[in-house]
Amino acid sequence: MSEILRSDALPSASPSLSGPQPVRFRGGGFTVRRHPWAALAAFAVLIGLWEGASRIGLASPLFLPPPSAVGAALSVMVTDGSLWLNLKASLGRIAVGWTLGTLGGMLVGFAMGIGSLARAVGVPLVSAFFPIPKIALLPLFILWFGIGEPSKFATIGFGVFFPTVIATYSAIDSVPRNLIRMAQSFGLPWRSILRSIVLPGALPGILAGFRISSSIALILVVAAEMIGAEYGIGAFVLMAGNLMQTDTLLAGVLVLSLMGLTIGTLLSLLERRLLKWR
Amino acid sequence: MSFTTWTRRAVLGGLTATLAATALPALAQTLEKSSVGVLALSSSGPIFIAKAKGYFAKEGLDVELKMFTSAQQVPVAVASGDVDFGVTGLTAGFYNLAAKGAVTIVAAQSRDEPGFPLSAYVATNAAYEAGLTKPSDLKGKRIAITTVGSTFHYMIGILGQKYGFTVKDVTMVPLQDVPKMVSAFKGGQVDAILAPSTVSRQVVADGAGKIVGWAGDETPWQLGALFTGPKTIQQRRPVVEKFIRAYKTALAEYHAAFNAKDSSGALVKGPGYDELVAIIAEATKQKPEIVTAGLPYADPQAKLLIDDVVNQVKFWQSEGQVDKTLEPKSVMDLSFVGQ
Amino acid sequence: MRLLVSDLTHRYEDLTVLDGIDLTLAEGEVLAVIGPSGCGKSTLLGIAGGIVAPTSGRVSVEGPLPDGCLNPITFIFQDFALLPWRSVEDNVALVLEHHPLPTAERRERIETGLRRMGLWEFRKALPKQLSGGMRQRVGIARALAVRPAMLLLDEPLSALDAQTRELLMDDFLDLWRREKTTALYVTHNLDEALRLADRVVVLSRRPGRIREIVTVEEPRDRRQAPSAQAHLAEVRERLWHLMKAEAQMADREIAHV
Repeated sequence: MSEILRSDALPSASPSLSGPQPVRFRGGGFTVRRHPWAALAAFAVLIGLWEGASRIGLASPLFLPPPSAVGAALSVMVTDGSLWLNLKASLGRIAVGWTLGTLGGMLVGFAMGIGSLARAVGVPLVSAFFPIPKIALLPLFILWFGIGEPSKFATIGFGVFFPTVIATYSAIDSVPRNLIRMAQSFGLPWRSILRSIVLPGALPGILAGFRISSSIALILVVAAEMIGAEYGIGAFVLMAGNLMQTDTLLAGVLVLSLMGLTIGTLLSLLERRLLKWR
Repeated sequence: MSFTTWTRRAVLGGLTATLAATALPALAQTLEKSSVGVLALSSSGPIFIAKAKGYFAKEGLDVELKMFTSAQQVPVAVASGDVDFGVTGLTAGFYNLAAKGAVTIVAAQSRDEPGFPLSAYVATNAAYEAGLTKPSDLKGKRIAITTVGSTFHYMIGILGQKYGFTVKDVTMVPLQDVPKMVSAFKGGQVDAILAPSTVSRQVVADGAGKIVGWAGDETPWQLGALFTGPKTIQQRRPVVEKFIRAYKTALAEYHAAFNAKDSSGALVKGPGYDELVAIIAEATKQKPEIVTAGLPYADPQAKLLIDDVVNQVKFWQSEGQVDKTLEPKSVMDLSFVGQ
Repeated sequence: MRLLVSDLTHRYEDLTVLDGIDLTLAEGEVLAVIGPSGCGKSTLLGIAGGIVAPTSGRVSVEGPLPDGCLNPITFIFQDFALLPWRSVEDNVALVLEHHPLPTAERRERIETGLRRMGLWEFRKALPKQLSGGMRQRVGIARALAVRPAMLLLDEPLSALDAQTRELLMDDFLDLWRREKTTALYVTHNLDEALRLADRVVVLSRRPGRIREIVTVEEPRDRRQAPSAQAHLAEVRERLWHLMKAEAQMADREIAHV
């Protein structure tokens, strides 16, 4: 075996194999294997280290409250009912704001995906407005929509609108043109082509856009609740930060990330249902 | 967070450099290093004066000024050990840090005092016409503040204590910062705001509302304090003593120049007025006329309104925003100012 | 149905793709078009099917339509052009959806097409679950459902492996035995042309012009017989000679698209 690999071992003789040599296995690696428990184990180890660091005094409980303190803060939220109250307020805002932004964004995205005039007008407008940080617009939103729920819907809606426009019209761009030519060659009318080919063909891209826009909605609910919100996970987190209650702050952040995880899982289920054909 | 948040003109790297250049280089080598976290506001004036006029150096300290943009950051920086001292307004967040043994008040900063217009109650024109003409009328109204736990929140609390209502009797609308408060005010979304004098006067000049009173006249209270970490007191007590001596020297000068009144009770320019205004104007990067319009009252001996601080802690505890087990007197160590 | 192409020229911007094509397809005739890549074969088909507008020239059709014809000129595509999110039967149903048909007839058309292509038991399957050959059979079933008068086949077997290609050629032979549908069959594969076509048009390299039209004398059904092999070899030799020269020259040109 070593002779096979090291032909310089016999410098004088021309290379040859003496007798049958087993072929060494050289493949393997570079493949993706599933490790279903690895992520959970990593989480557990991380939380364990974190708790341990707090217990032996490596990390001050003020700067990094131990998981047990965060858990205690969370259980206070559950028992005094504030978790549900805040969650309900935030979920309502996310639902309304996201729906408004998504409907508007899909409408405009479709127009831009199909009509070349709408695209010529829309692309530069979207490029100009998309990068505006919505938080910078909050004072304006207060003037336009007041400090009640509408300004919170608007904050989330505006944030969701632009990525949805982009996702929708690029999804329509990615619908295979050969399918549209096929439909035309069979004489399908324009509306049928839209309904039977463009819409379902664009669905994967639109759903991928939902993933992004739902995360944006979650980020913006915190910003939206800067506007005089009494309840809401965002308001709760802001207040805990202002009061320097770091364990409560982290409990709120934990709830936010669990919300993100839940929404992501629901979207995966939806994708799996709607995109079985992929 | 506190009334100081609105000024975002701070963090000027150049400031520290300018001030450092004025210290005597020959002495610098033998001086003990120390640092203080401040906001670029007139209320930090005594610190700027002590630095600029070399009072810290005279005590053998080389004090570095670190500028922060919001009042919340300063006690956090003290708690984390990034700075040795801090001066800012007192908030619920501050007392929560104190409850965890991270900060201790050692001397007074500015306070709301009759005759010193610092924070105003401002009513919208509509609310004014509907009868909101004096501070006691705020009961039952919608009032925009920065945040829950801020100095404004407490100001509503003590106003209520004076006129027999609680914060439950008003609708406090937390909007995080002053621009959003002004937006909500101008849009008629709230009946009133509690705002710093510059903002209040601007809103009135814009014709958007009327000032119906000043917190200093209604409810004098201890707005700010000088604080440090308990560890610093334990391990570097001489440094704290030296720092406070220099601070008090500057504070006495500040008081004499800015807080002097004549026999009729009107404010008059005291000794060294222009020099001190120039020092503060340079440190805060503000025009002198802005500085002179918002110079708060400060006790010349750095003595604290102890009863008010106790009241603050009790108020936050009753609001459920500060741990109920915190003993109010434990947040201060006033041995340095002889109280 | 007959197809008449006269003096057809097509340009993409300043690139001439087809130049002065004159062509006639008789009723029931299968005409193969071969030529090097980029000679405009597919463009010719697109123009004949009315989905590419020619720069100049005329394309017309005439003659009787089969009973129940819904789409006289019907394509079969190289890439099958199936909707991946629709089942086999729904892919066929797609091309009937915009026609007002009684439900029974609609069902009958779908079932007949699928059964003929041996797809009936796979009617609920999604395209991704089918082999390439089966997918093209769905494409054929879809074309049959509209009872076309003329088929335009755009390299229908190029995406398939050799064995599957043989099987599908048999399917096509069967189709033309029964239906006598006029067909324009674009390919770059000589074997397909020799097995299926009545006549073979050889196009030159770009700009595509007709080099020659070769008639395959032997009837389609007898071409597997030993007696036919001498003639077929002769035609093959002739076609190969024509194609080879064009292909070699086309190969040396720098693509300037």
